[in-house]
Amino acid sequence: MDIELFIEALFGILQWKPLLMIFAGVAGGILIGSLPGLTATMGVALLVPFTFGLPFNESIGMLLGIFSGSVYGGSISAILINTPGTPAAAATLLDGYPLSQKGEAGRALSMSVFASFVGGFTGALIMTFLSPQISQLALEFSAAEYFGLATFGLSIIISVSGKSILKGIMVGFLGLLISTIGMDPVSGYPRFTFGSMNLFEGPAFIPTLIGLFAFAEVFKGVEQLTTTKQVVSKISSVFPSLSDIKRTWKDMAKSSVMGTFIGSIPGAGSDIAAFVGYSEAKRRSKNPEKFGTGQIEGVAAAESANNACSGGAMIPMLSLGVPGDAVTAILLGAFVIQGIQPGPMLYKEDLDVVYSVFSAMLVANVAMLIVGFLGVRFFARAITVRKSILLPAIFIMSIVGAYSMRNNMFDVWLALGFGVLGYFLQRYRFPVSPILLALILGPMAEANLRRALIIADNSMIDVLSRPITAIFLILGLVTLIMSILRQRKAHD
Amino acid sequence: MIKSFRKLTSMSLILVMMSAAYSHVQAADFPSKRVTMICPWAAGGGTDTFLRGLARNTEPFLGQTITINNKTGGSGAIGHAAGVRARSDGYTVTMVTFDILTLPPQGFVPFTYKDYDLLMRVNMDPAAITVPIDAPYNTIEEFVAYAKANPGKIKVGHAGPGTAWHLAGSIFAEKVGIDLAYVPYNGAAPAVTALAGKHIQAVSVSPAEVRGQVEGGTVKILAVMSDERVSGFSEVPTMKEEGYDVSFGTWRGLAVPNSTPDDAKKILHDAFKKGMETDAFKRFAADSGLGVSYMSAEDWEKDLSTSAVSVANTMKNLGLVR
Repeated sequence: MDIELFIEALFGILQWKPLLMIFAGVAGGILIGSLPGLTATMGVALLVPFTFGLPFNESIGMLLGIFSGSVYGGSISAILINTPGTPAAAATLLDGYPLSQKGEAGRALSMSVFASFVGGFTGALIMTFLSPQISQLALEFSAAEYFGLATFGLSIIISVSGKSILKGIMVGFLGLLISTIGMDPVSGYPRFTFGSMNLFEGPAFIPTLIGLFAFAEVFKGVEQLTTTKQVVSKISSVFPSLSDIKRTWKDMAKSSVMGTFIGSIPGAGSDIAAFVGYSEAKRRSKNPEKFGTGQIEGVAAAESANNACSGGAMIPMLSLGVPGDAVTAILLGAFVIQGIQPGPMLYKEDLDVVYSVFSAMLVANVAMLIVGFLGVRFFARAITVRKSILLPAIFIMSIVGAYSMRNNMFDVWLALGFGVLGYFLQRYRFPVSPILLALILGPMAEANLRRALIIADNSMIDVLSRPITAIFLILGLVTLIMSILRQRKAHD
Repeated sequence: MIKSFRKLTSMSLILVMMSAAYSHVQAADFPSKRVTMICPWAAGGGTDTFLRGLARNTEPFLGQTITINNKTGGSGAIGHAAGVRARSDGYTVTMVTFDILTLPPQGFVPFTYKDYDLLMRVNMDPAAITVPIDAPYNTIEEFVAYAKANPGKIKVGHAGPGTAWHLAGSIFAEKVGIDLAYVPYNGAAPAVTALAGKHIQAVSVSPAEVRGQVEGGTVKILAVMSDERVSGFSEVPTMKEEGYDVSFGTWRGLAVPNSTPDDAKKILHDAFKKGMETDAFKRFAADSGLGVSYMSAEDWEKDLSTSAVSVANTMKNLGLVR
């Protein structure tokens, strides 16, 4: 680490023009993230062409601003309307929405901003100081290890199942079944598509998410339109209270580090990190049964984990030229067009560029903290809007969101169908999150197991005996057994 | 009430007729409104990048703005289908990709490239065989010898079942008579990552997609499947130079629905050709690692009629035809 060069790069970012671009990017990113159907990937992809003409510091500031802002932005709609704005915020709503229903939307939002900052900044710091060391991890992961990670992730279904593990597992398997719709990952055979090309790639993820959460919420809301009282939301301060920070700092620290590592593994994204962080906070907690009813730790753990992922995903992109997720894949393209080829050579030849990226990432997270706090009061007001106005607004935005993902009307019908499913699941007290986990992790587990088997000449023993894979599988098994035993005990 | 309804009907009838007459006039001074381009692949990918760059540089020659509509999904089937179904007035241009050859044999779409009127091919990226830097072979000849001695032991990563890079490995193996195993990844990038981590023994993707790893010294390209050496990789021999008659790659081109008026097609063709030839676009494509390669509609049609057959045959051998 060349401290002198780093400080020089930092001052290069702290000029008014790059700063302006970072703040604009963060504000735009928060907006994109908070709208279900608009994702960080789309935001960055559509803005990349506009940054070609800009100097490097300004363009990278803007893009990283959007990247950082949108991950936080997703939590706003998760907390306020029970709909994750981005898949990464799916774990945030588990406790965020109950909090806002208790009239503590402000508390949840300010904690979300703060936790996002802690996670994002930690991720950026780890990226700044440990990139070359961590990047090797990305290359260690072969198909077999991804299979292990995905299977371990599926065991988290237990911790997001709420009161009944049995119901959680039932819904989880329903999700796995849905995740088999679409082309077979090896032979390309279309499964359960009924000849419709709209289903070749499975049910599109964002419309499914919008259906299960946003539409289901609207249907539920319509039913209760005349019976429920308006939630009164009082905001005493836009900052999280000291006691909340004291309660959650350990969870945030743990989630931040775990999130960065998960982010640095290509293909494992912020959605997975958030669930892992949430599950770990619940496991560690003295009263895990209260999770899901509005525990501030749940929001803090999920939000710090998913924001930490951004820094993590940048690590293999910069030091190996291997993108960590969809957003960094687009950033990689943007770098190449600017004449910069990420990879090991970048660290040898253009260290100043690397340091500029580090600086921009650190500054973007500070900008997110400022913009986020400024916005808390404004966002929280959304929940005080009369239901007869709020629900139609959510409904229309959800239709637009489902359509805009692929510009396809089929996806709107798909979302409405999943809305009906989500409504009945909630009505009969089934948890909805397990479907989501299964949809994210099912295809990952399946494709990687089959990939691993091809590589190992169809020897299952060879696949399962790889050390990292074995550790993940054992961890998953332990999680499963422990939670079942714990629930038994609680019943006795 | 009825009277006013009648009035309304006749009024709207007149309006419809007027607009019909107007649109007839339009054909003479095409294009008189913005042109939409369908991209069958997601924003940020190679096809989208190429299309946006081309559209930006073509607008001045077309005299109209171009909007890009990413209609994605179904391995490109949805965008290609939308392009076939679009109104044949020249205001909807589709960037068709190699996949229009692989979708019909798989039974995924009820149409072929013949349901399009081709304008021109704009891009071609050859496949290449790339291996880890410390692999026990330094030339494609040694690679083939190793594969012959160890049938099925070389695992070749590609971008997914039925993609161009899946066929590339198979066409090569078929021609030289070796037995390779194919590992599908979700796109080229994860396959290249697996190669850099030495989990697989080769990838059959384009040189541009491995450029970062080549420069970083983790992988080496043995040979490219093009007729001439690829700019930027001039030290890498072609398959033909090494004595293997293999030429294969992916391509992108522009097309409009059948029965689009000829004058509109000509105007579109000329504008996009000029856009392709601008220095700004050439520089942009080179920076993005995308090969610019023009082919006229006639030559392209000829090329497709032969490659459609060979692609279908290879897919049959891979068990992808239904």
